[in-house]
Amino acid sequence: MRYPITIAAFLLAGMACHGAETTPDARAIVRAAVDHWRGVSSHSVMSMLIHRPDWERSMTMEAWTKGDEKSLVRVIEPKKDRGNGTLTDDNEMWTFSPKVNRVIKIPSSMMGQSWLGSDFSNKDVARADDIVDQYDHTLLETGDVDGITVYEVRSVPHEQAAVVWGREELRIRDDHVLLEHRFYDQDGELVKTLETLQIEEMGGRTIASRQRMAKADAPGEWTEIEVISVEYEIDIRDSVFTLSNLRNPRD
Amino acid sequence: MNLVLRLAWRNLWRQPRRTWLTTGAMVFANVLLVFMISLQFGMYRLMIENSLQAFTGHMQVQARGYIDDKKMRQSVPDIVPLANELREELGSGAVAARATAFALASSEERSYGIAVFGVEPQFEPRVSNIPGLIGEGRYLESNDAAELVIGAVLARNLKVGVGDEVTLLGSGRDGSFAAVVANVVGIFDSGVAELDRTIAEMPLGLFQDVFYMHGSGHQVVVNAPRLGQVAEYRQRVAALLPEDEDLVVHDWDALLPGLKQAIQADISSAVFMYAVLVVLVAFSVLNTQLMSVLERTHEFGIVLALGLKPGRLGRLVMLETALMGLMGLFIGALIGGALTGWLGVQGFTMPGMDEMGAKFNLPSRLHPQVTFASLLSGPAVVFLFSLLASVYPALRLRRLQPVEAMRAA
Repeated sequence: MRYPITIAAFLLAGMACHGAETTPDARAIVRAAVDHWRGVSSHSVMSMLIHRPDWERSMTMEAWTKGDEKSLVRVIEPKKDRGNGTLTDDNEMWTFSPKVNRVIKIPSSMMGQSWLGSDFSNKDVARADDIVDQYDHTLLETGDVDGITVYEVRSVPHEQAAVVWGREELRIRDDHVLLEHRFYDQDGELVKTLETLQIEEMGGRTIASRQRMAKADAPGEWTEIEVISVEYEIDIRDSVFTLSNLRNPRD
Repeated sequence: MNLVLRLAWRNLWRQPRRTWLTTGAMVFANVLLVFMISLQFGMYRLMIENSLQAFTGHMQVQARGYIDDKKMRQSVPDIVPLANELREELGSGAVAARATAFALASSEERSYGIAVFGVEPQFEPRVSNIPGLIGEGRYLESNDAAELVIGAVLARNLKVGVGDEVTLLGSGRDGSFAAVVANVVGIFDSGVAELDRTIAEMPLGLFQDVFYMHGSGHQVVVNAPRLGQVAEYRQRVAALLPEDEDLVVHDWDALLPGLKQAIQADISSAVFMYAVLVVLVAFSVLNTQLMSVLERTHEFGIVLALGLKPGRLGRLVMLETALMGLMGLFIGALIGGALTGWLGVQGFTMPGMDEMGAKFNLPSRLHPQVTFASLLSGPAVVFLFSLLASVYPALRLRRLQPVEAMRAA
């Protein structure tokens, strides 16, 4: 496995001399996409639609992120779930429910479980950045969709990385918008796919405004997240990302 | 025929030592078989009964598909009225409704993923051992109090005792957030690690409230009076289910496929062992009978010359074996039955039984049970194979030429 990556790195290094803009290395592509999506900081309102063959459920959430590690998500609607939220900091996650007025730390054994009942796992939310540092990235293909260059990157986790996936494959546009993110298990079977359904200009950036996470083995089960509004690069105090703010919002 | 029988009996006692030795081999095998089979099937029955009594019950009414997918939405609507109706129609109190969900249980210090069950406190003791195994505190009483009964291992993991609060966090039936703080009122110790580590029970009314069940649940547990009546009860229950709902009844071997598989695996390995034993005995019979036929060649030649039909001689040899086999069967079954019966009353234990007991939900002292089948099935097979073993010596006689035979030494 080391060979292709080394070769790719060589090739990319060589190509980089010709034109850094057209062929950046795979890791940089992924890094840029993650940074682009999250920004140094962001504040957004999103709606989440959980679809099952026989029912559907939607909720609206407000989210704050800062840096690679901190994020706070709070449910606004439906009313009966208002105030439920999760806080992540450095790969750890806490959840708060106003019904019991308690903050609970999610044990690591539960990080693979569903996040807020959706098709996203707690890990998807808390460890979105792991893919940059704990994976080896290979540029598989450089294509072209609607006149925009699209990179296809394969990311394989390091041997000691605490990751359940065997590999991940991403399709990222030249302007850092993620088009598709496929998760494969250790046997190389596709487990789930995050797909971008809509791209819009929001908060001064072109971003994937509607994305769908679907499990490969359960057609008809998916979760869509739609960004309603977003601001990037704003000043968010560190005190937003604290347990006491998770419990008692101070806005 | 009478003559042949008398001859066979006399022939046996011409070599009493040899006859006793061969019979002895049969007796030994039979005693062993009676004991092993009694022990084995007694253990299986205990395994099944104890496993089922612990929690699963003899059968469960569930929504179709729930057994495979275990999704919260695959529920039985209006489960309490349904359980009431089943109780009334079956004339049995051993019917209890349950609902279940996956939840994160947290104490002040720790959190664990567990299975929470909503149960009917007044009926649950009729279908499950857990209410009777409360080591500390008490079982649930009211149908909607914020009370919780948890397993001993879970209590230790969470570091909580009776009177402490536990927070449960999960998803309701409609996908919304479900959360409740409940008081631990009792801690059960079933000895089954899986139950003690992963299960919490709360009143069904509270559960339906917290998890937005709207009167539905996931399983109605029904127990038949005896394990043998499960099939009959299952049909009765199936006939009582409302037709407009997509409900099914699963019996225990569908609910706990691992249990039946474990038993089947054990049976096949035991059968192999028994087969070796039976074949060894059969060969010793073959050896004896062949020897006794060969040493009587001269004598057989004479009776053939006198006009006895070879077929009758063959019958004689078979009959000798049959007599010996019957002796082995009766003496073996008698000694085996007596020994097993005595051990059944006294009980006995083997090294390592404690560990195995905890795994399969067995007591550490075993009481094998003698039944008609366990007493006679093993010895009957030994008898049959002994007869089979004497076919070859008997067939040899058919080829015997009187003159040549008489010349033999």
